[in-house]
Amino acid sequence: MTVTAAPQAALSVLPRADGSAKYSHAGYTVTASVNGPIEAQRRDEHAYEAHVDVIVRPAAGVGGTRERHLESILQSSLTQIILVKNFPRSLIQIVLQIEATPENDYVNTKLVQASLNFSIMPALFQTAILALLSAAVPMRATATASVVAVVPETKSKKLVVDPSPRELEAAQSVHVLAFTSQGELLLAESEGDFTVEEWDEVYETAEDVCCKSETSKSDVDMMLDDDDDDAGPADMHQFIRSTLEDKVAADLHWK
Amino acid sequence: MAASPPTLSFPRPTFAKLSPHPYLLAGLAAPDSASRSNGRAPHEARPIHIHTSSLSHAHGSALVRSGDTTVVCGVRGEILPVTSIPQYRPTTSYNTAEEERSAGLGRGELRDYDLLVPNIELATGCAPQFLPGVPPTTLAQTLSTRVYSLLHSCKIVDPAAVRIWYHPSKVLSAGDEDEKVDDDDDNDGDNGDEEERRTKPQLMAYWVLYIDLLFVSLDGNPFDAAWAAVLAALRDTKLPEARWDPDLETVVCESKKAPMALQITGVPVACTAAVFLEKEHAELGGKQKKNRHWILLDPDRLEAELCQEVVTVVVDCEDGSGETRIKSIEKQGGTVIGRELMRGFVGVAEQRWKEVRKML
Repeated sequence: MTVTAAPQAALSVLPRADGSAKYSHAGYTVTASVNGPIEAQRRDEHAYEAHVDVIVRPAAGVGGTRERHLESILQSSLTQIILVKNFPRSLIQIVLQIEATPENDYVNTKLVQASLNFSIMPALFQTAILALLSAAVPMRATATASVVAVVPETKSKKLVVDPSPRELEAAQSVHVLAFTSQGELLLAESEGDFTVEEWDEVYETAEDVCCKSETSKSDVDMMLDDDDDDAGPADMHQFIRSTLEDKVAADLHWK
Repeated sequence: MAASPPTLSFPRPTFAKLSPHPYLLAGLAAPDSASRSNGRAPHEARPIHIHTSSLSHAHGSALVRSGDTTVVCGVRGEILPVTSIPQYRPTTSYNTAEEERSAGLGRGELRDYDLLVPNIELATGCAPQFLPGVPPTTLAQTLSTRVYSLLHSCKIVDPAAVRIWYHPSKVLSAGDEDEKVDDDDDNDGDNGDEEERRTKPQLMAYWVLYIDLLFVSLDGNPFDAAWAAVLAALRDTKLPEARWDPDLETVVCESKKAPMALQITGVPVACTAAVFLEKEHAELGGKQKKNRHWILLDPDRLEAELCQEVVTVVVDCEDGSGETRIKSIEKQGGTVIGRELMRGFVGVAEQRWKEVRKML
């Protein structure tokens, strides 16, 4: 299966939703819609803040326990970056529809799988952020996520960003880390077998993928000029930024 | 404020109920010694009590108590013949574990055939928010996904321990000579391939381990208790010796022999903490005055409700090299715990590991 190297995204793809986005990267394609702030159901209503409702729909079948877990992770992370205090007693609904996932040709894929699926989390996370931006939901920061696998090789280990299903299977440990645009660690999920030192290396790699330009502010301007045409953007944060800039430029074209 | 008479005071439970956040903060911000509303220090976990083999009908069971969180875990083995597995792909027998590892890449039998089936039930009334007659809550579903994933990623159950083999050669050599001659007569025209097929050990069935957890009461920190119960129950599991009977064409269990203990590798222990922030409604980000925080180990229900950010680290120090192996990190819901704090927290988890290891 061919996997496009650079991520692709489109904003406001759904006409009826307040905001929407479609994102594909590393074999995953996800479409998200965001509606909000809308009226909350009585049981979800919170007196001081908006309730963030995340729904993850798998590519085939109905959601199971795994989707509930993904939802709860996304919900707790997104609640942190959306200004929920601005919308008391209301609801912000985020629906994430998975459209395509990379297949592993070596094994029989089961439709219902209960184990965690780390490799899809960055796609879900980025799509949700893009859709929230498209819906103009006020946020205190944006955030980006990346997945890193530690794959054993003969006598050494190598870190693989956005691993393929085959690499995931061989991996000793898999890590998902999300950083806010201020460079703070928002989410960290790891499984497998690793040490603190390995986690540190993974942290640095993931930080590079998510927000390299934040840590080295000086060359941001240079990158902005360069990246429009050639190669991919420097990092995920930069990618989200340039996607939005393109959209704004296209929308204001008539001026 | 000035208008209220200075004599107005509430008993502690009323204060806790009316304004839980300032109540917890009052104890933690005390200048001399920070203490939580439950009397513990911030880095003090509740002692854990583990009682095994309390269920008579399960192959292994454990009851774990940590403060007011009580969970019962029962492990029951059921035999799954390979003929009932859809998309089953035969396994050859391996002589060494090393050989198996090199051949077994991508052959996660435990995962492919769902040989470990954890299920978590939060009993009605274990905490006030659990009402009767509702579908499984998000918490129950999330917990069972986490337990399932950890069971597989830790590899604590060896696939070799749940396989049931049929060794034709052993049966033949054990039986008397007449029988062997009889057998040969039946298959007069068999070639070498057929011979090999008949003498090669064949995998006939698997043990499926149903791991059921029931929360009797829940006072915060369900995952640590659930995982400790799963670990203790699996270590307590004794499966009867099963063999394939070629005459009956079924798997039979030896009732005479004592059941064999299930082989469990490693002792991973979960350690959870919640981050309590000084300002309840503070904005995120570094612009304002620093928001003080406390990391509360093993949070109870009151604390868990007030904390957004939760971190769970699963460590295993059993390895002889003395190096701590981390099995899982889960951190979500906030930005307080960064790289340095996470490193420090692994140290806290190592301490917790020693405490729990002693009780197992």
